[in-house]
Amino acid sequence: MKFDKYPVTVGATSMVFEFTSKGIRGNIQKLVVYSETHLHNFYNLGFGDKNEITGEIDDEVVTNNGDSEKVLATVASTLYIFMEKYPDAMVFATGSTKARTRLYRIGISNHLAEIQKDFNVYGLINEHWQPFQKQMEFDAFLVIKKKE
Amino acid sequence: MKQQTKNTDKKPVIIKVDKNLDKYLTKDLFKEKVDKANHILKTVGLPKFSK
Repeated sequence: MKFDKYPVTVGATSMVFEFTSKGIRGNIQKLVVYSETHLHNFYNLGFGDKNEITGEIDDEVVTNNGDSEKVLATVASTLYIFMEKYPDAMVFATGSTKARTRLYRIGISNHLAEIQKDFNVYGLINEHWQPFQKQMEFDAFLVIKKKE
Repeated sequence: MKQQTKNTDKKPVIIKVDKNLDKYLTKDLFKEKVDKANHILKTVGLPKFSK
């Protein structure tokens, strides 16, 4: 992906990442977590803002820090580090709201050719998975690293 | 003046590895989304992969 990204701090497991969004509202800590699910190798990608005072993570807050493209590019780029360690992982992602899921879809659509060099991307629609297509509304996404 | 360079590589620059971050793996974060992922696994399953 050819967008600028923030530098990250990574956990020893390569399943947790932290970075700082720097924008019009100041510095905001972001956390990205790849959580295990009931199925081996199937992970949920979650990310949100870290409240510096309480330490709580909020994935519903609308930050409006003016750098959403850079934030999304940074979150997406963590896939490369995560999947280096877990090459057989399947990563599930969905937004906390329909609007946010739509934002993710637009982000994937805008960089689809680049993303598809390294990953297979699927979208969930009407309770069916299908290969991701631009201009289609999806409820969730699944990303799998292509085998070299 | 130091010029900021953009990182347009696929991977982000790693500032450091901090094992303390892994504490978040035990905090049940993004539970709604994880529950949704598990629900979809149960009701829809996985895509038919083209290899």
